[in-house]
Amino acid sequence: MLVIRRRAGESVLIGDDIEIEVLDVAGTQVKIGISAPRDVLILRREVRVTAEQNELAARSLPFASLVGLLEKMKNSPQGPESPGDKGR
Amino acid sequence: MATIETRYFGAVPEEVGLAIEFSAGLPAFEEERRFLAIEHPKTGPLILLQSMATRDLCFLALPVAAVDPAYRLQISTEDMKAIGIDESAISSGDKLAVLVFVVVGPDGHISANLMAPIVVNRENRRAVQAVRCDGVYAHNHSVFMPRESVAAEKTPCW
Repeated sequence: MLVIRRRAGESVLIGDDIEIEVLDVAGTQVKIGISAPRDVLILRREVRVTAEQNELAARSLPFASLVGLLEKMKNSPQGPESPGDKGR
Repeated sequence: MATIETRYFGAVPEEVGLAIEFSAGLPAFEEERRFLAIEHPKTGPLILLQSMATRDLCFLALPVAAVDPAYRLQISTEDMKAIGIDESAISSGDKLAVLVFVVVGPDGHISANLMAPIVVNRENRRAVQAVRCDGVYAHNHSVFMPRESVAAEKTPCW
């Protein structure tokens, strides 16, 4: 990963027509301004991750598996909370 | 009486569930606005979110409290506006139903997306998938059903 230090008011260019400007830095938050052509999709990463999770969630189980899942939920003992962060 | 074609139960009257509307759709399913939230004794503790437009699209969800009883909701001003609530609705919580989508992996592992809860305003039935950007909760939180939620299965969350 390319790492560049920038201050508020400074910017970086990506290719010929994308500019990312650091507008403001306050505490742990950075406000950035992005200038890019209309056809470039810009998403917060969390939205992309959620879209992927939704795709997975939508792959519905067959009915028999749904019944099996319910059985499993009813019978499963309370387990330790796992960090669940492995995929990050 | 309107009937809805469902993934798991064939055609059902709309009255079996609560019709909710996502004005902006869902990430990856932007065109899907209307869902029927079906809470049925046979499927408890799961809540099914059945698309009213697409028979084969049915999400499995859980009340967030069943996954993490200490879950603290955080929702952007924009998302609050989308479902017509303000801060007070979040602190009191009475108006809202908060669900999380469940993913069952090929190995049977169950996870829930705590990073992007489904927040429903029960008064106007508007809903939003409120994607958090504070990094506090995982998108793939492992689910173990707490015993109390199984016992509380009979209490509908609507």
